Amino acid sequence: MKVTPEDARKLNLPPECVNKTPSGETFVKSNLQKGILPEILEELIAARKRAKADLKASTLIALLPSEFPDNRLYCYVQEAKDPLEKAVLDGRQLALKISANSVYGFTGATVGQLPCIEISSSVTSYGRQMIEHTKKLVEDKFTTVGGYEHTAEVIYGDTDSVMVQFGVSNVETAMNLGREAAEYISGTFTKPIKLEFEKVYYPYLLISKKRYAGLLWTNSQKFDKMDTKGIETVRRDNCLLVKNLVNDCLHKILINRDIPGAVQYVKNTISDLLMNRMDLSLLVITKGLTKTGDDYEVKAAHVELAERMRKRDAATAPNVGDRVPYVIVKAAKGAKAYEKSEDPIYVLENNIPIDPNYYLENQISKPLLRIFEPILKNAEKELLKGSHTRSISISTPSNSGIMKFAKKQLSCIGCKALLSDADKTLCSHCKGREAELYCKTVSQVSDLEELFGRLWTQCQECQGSLHQDVLCTSRDCPIFYRRKKAQKDMAEAKRQLGRWNF
Amino acid sequence: MEAMEIDSQKIHQRKQSTYLSFDESFEIQKETYTGQQYSQIYFARLYKMRTLLYSLVPNWKPRLTVCTVLGLEQGKECIIVGTLYKHMKLKPCILDEYSKERSSAPLVKAHNFVHPDDCLILEDESGRVKLGGTKLSPLLYVTGVVVALHGRETSAGEFFVEDVLEAGLPPQIELPLELREDKYVVFVSGLSVGSTASNPLQFQLFVDHITGHLGDDEEQNIAAQIVHVVIAGNSVEIPHGLLNGQNLASKDQSSLSDPIKELDLLLTQIASGLPLDIMPGSNDPANFSLPQQPLHRCLLPGSAAYNTFRSCTNPHCFELDNIRFLGTSGQNIDDLAKYSEGKDSLDFMERTLRWAHVAPTTPNTLGCYPFSDRDPFVIESCPHVYFVGNQEKYETRLLKGSNGQLVRLICIPKFCQTGVAVVLNMRNLECHTLTFGTQFS
Repeated sequence: MKVTPEDARKLNLPPECVNKTPSGETFVKSNLQKGILPEILEELIAARKRAKADLKASTLIALLPSEFPDNRLYCYVQEAKDPLEKAVLDGRQLALKISANSVYGFTGATVGQLPCIEISSSVTSYGRQMIEHTKKLVEDKFTTVGGYEHTAEVIYGDTDSVMVQFGVSNVETAMNLGREAAEYISGTFTKPIKLEFEKVYYPYLLISKKRYAGLLWTNSQKFDKMDTKGIETVRRDNCLLVKNLVNDCLHKILINRDIPGAVQYVKNTISDLLMNRMDLSLLVITKGLTKTGDDYEVKAAHVELAERMRKRDAATAPNVGDRVPYVIVKAAKGAKAYEKSEDPIYVLENNIPIDPNYYLENQISKPLLRIFEPILKNAEKELLKGSHTRSISISTPSNSGIMKFAKKQLSCIGCKALLSDADKTLCSHCKGREAELYCKTVSQVSDLEELFGRLWTQCQECQGSLHQDVLCTSRDCPIFYRRKKAQKDMAEAKRQLGRWNF
Repeated sequence: MEAMEIDSQKIHQRKQSTYLSFDESFEIQKETYTGQQYSQIYFARLYKMRTLLYSLVPNWKPRLTVCTVLGLEQGKECIIVGTLYKHMKLKPCILDEYSKERSSAPLVKAHNFVHPDDCLILEDESGRVKLGGTKLSPLLYVTGVVVALHGRETSAGEFFVEDVLEAGLPPQIELPLELREDKYVVFVSGLSVGSTASNPLQFQLFVDHITGHLGDDEEQNIAAQIVHVVIAGNSVEIPHGLLNGQNLASKDQSSLSDPIKELDLLLTQIASGLPLDIMPGSNDPANFSLPQQPLHRCLLPGSAAYNTFRSCTNPHCFELDNIRFLGTSGQNIDDLAKYSEGKDSLDFMERTLRWAHVAPTTPNTLGCYPFSDRDPFVIESCPHVYFVGNQEKYETRLLKGSNGQLVRLICIPKFCQTGVAVVLNMRNLECHTLTFGTQFS
């Protein structure tokens, strides 16, 4: 249900001369003086019209008869098969639409290019007025007194849309009611403004202003997709773990309607994180390096890291303009957040422990609580403080600190007891369990081998060559770190297996 | 090595034969994972096979020149040699785990990923070119096969294939003629000791039969002519859920090692009577990628004490009385069946021989060790007997090569499901089966 800002143009809103806008501003009419904004807007809308026409034309290509010498009229009509071209044209008209819709918006930014708060507040005040109007009409008409099954309630409205809870139990009746309401309300608006029925959300999880998730239905047979606004952060400076976790939880809650399952899933993930079983690529955070370290006013994690990497190896360090991927590692107590960033490859190569608490507290806890608080009692206690958070495993770094002075000694594969010099594999207590323990070691190797093969052949496939080494260093690839880790784990597992050669 | 039966005053002496193992090339000793990739094994394969194919080209198409992919000229007829790559739409991909709509896509049927839109690409170290024409069917070929192609480049940038040359059956050592007596080799696979499908009595009958503890004088006489037993993979089935890296309760510890102990007992009975080769399979406690390394001695302490017991690699290659055997536990053929089409398992086996490569789909869809200097799966000497374990049913065929090679192809069925073991007569390479069944009334 929309009252788009585009309608602002149709209403000739900025030059409203005599009448005050609902927010109390006055504007000159266009016959007196045409504003800049309407001009821009008209240009944009004309451009979108052209782009739409181009999109249509791209499916039909006609060769002009003048291209043929013998003056006979040939007219070839063929379908343009290139879906890429279509997508580009479609993208262009969408971009123009978005631009047109947001023309008024930048006037509201006080530090922007054309600040004029009066314009934007007027536009939104019109919108608000219409929403209020709609709300009143809907709640007056759709009542049990008026002969409807349930009393409708407007639960949420934002600039150009309202969400109405009709209270019915199936999608189809909700749709019909939505259409009826849209028609009824459109009739009460001035001519070009129309309220459209757009979609049904079922179920619908409204978390707060501008944050909601739901299953979107546009037909009554099958839902179209899971729609989320403001929750699942697509921002790249969050790690992939957050995105996946939130997405999977919503999937479990909304589609499978399985809240205990979602809770269990969260607990397992948190436990994996604490037990150091997490795939590192899920924990990588990337930030763009826009200027060199000295120019940043406050110290930022990625800038510090870039600086440190330059000291290690200037050739591979990120430069200005690159995106810097990093993970947060454990550091001395009281270390600043920016000191805890580390290059993921370096972390993999040197077994540096990551800081699970950072990820738990700064990355996943907020988005999770936002989802679970409305549906779960004591969400924080249940999810973030249960028994699943009690066992923790931290890898020991291989190159730094006190480990440099440590004396290494083999431990029994079965019970981890230190071995005397004579034994290589098992202590005398575990000797009888050889078969079982060997099975375990070899099954680890076998799982890793399978993973290794799948990861590296995938990379060969992507780069499109079998006879060249894989060179790809795209750190945005989800399997980039996993591939590296598989190689390293494989070497380690193989060494463990080698200890059985007696 | 002798099992003597003093039953009806007659002594049967078990026959013997000379045994030579050729497993070294499949053994991974010092090699480790030090960052090498799969390109090297493809390169080694291409290099070896290309030398072979170049030597065949003058007889095949004497007038044509040989080009590299980079040197192709439009419209000019020529021959190119390279590794095939099959682009497959349905091939499962590890990136699917990361796709947005993780649960909505329907899972493909697990048994075959072939799709009519699949296409073939030929690659050498200079580049790759898409192949067109109907001569080379994407249904039959898989990624990793090295072939020579005759054709020309079309205006669309494709290579139009007019004729295909495969490596063909490798040369064979001459079949010894002096063998004038019956000697039998027994093949069995898929014992799956410890699974619900396996019947301990069935296996015990098998053991008693081949060691000569069953039957009358005549049968014992035949049993005495068995000179070798080969177990081609999947001998035990271990509950895989137990191997998740957690510490096991003592109850689970025993359920993990019990099937292995049971297998050890039975194998000890065989090994005490006659020579036995055991190969690892996909379900065995061995590594995953080919070549699979021998099952560890500590798993089978009882039978490992006998010098008749040999734990072998998979693939396994050996000679008995100068008859050459080559076989796998079935992964290579199963993988071909997933990524190409064929009438039966024998069809796939014949193809691997014609391509002179045991497992062409390694490393693309079948895991293998990233060898850096060689490709151990190239068949350099054609075997007389080529066997594959863990197939659905028993099948056999005699394959004749263009240079007089003669190969006995054998598909060994899963014993736990069928109760069938395969017996090969080394005198004439004829095959028959032994079927064991139990009935309770």
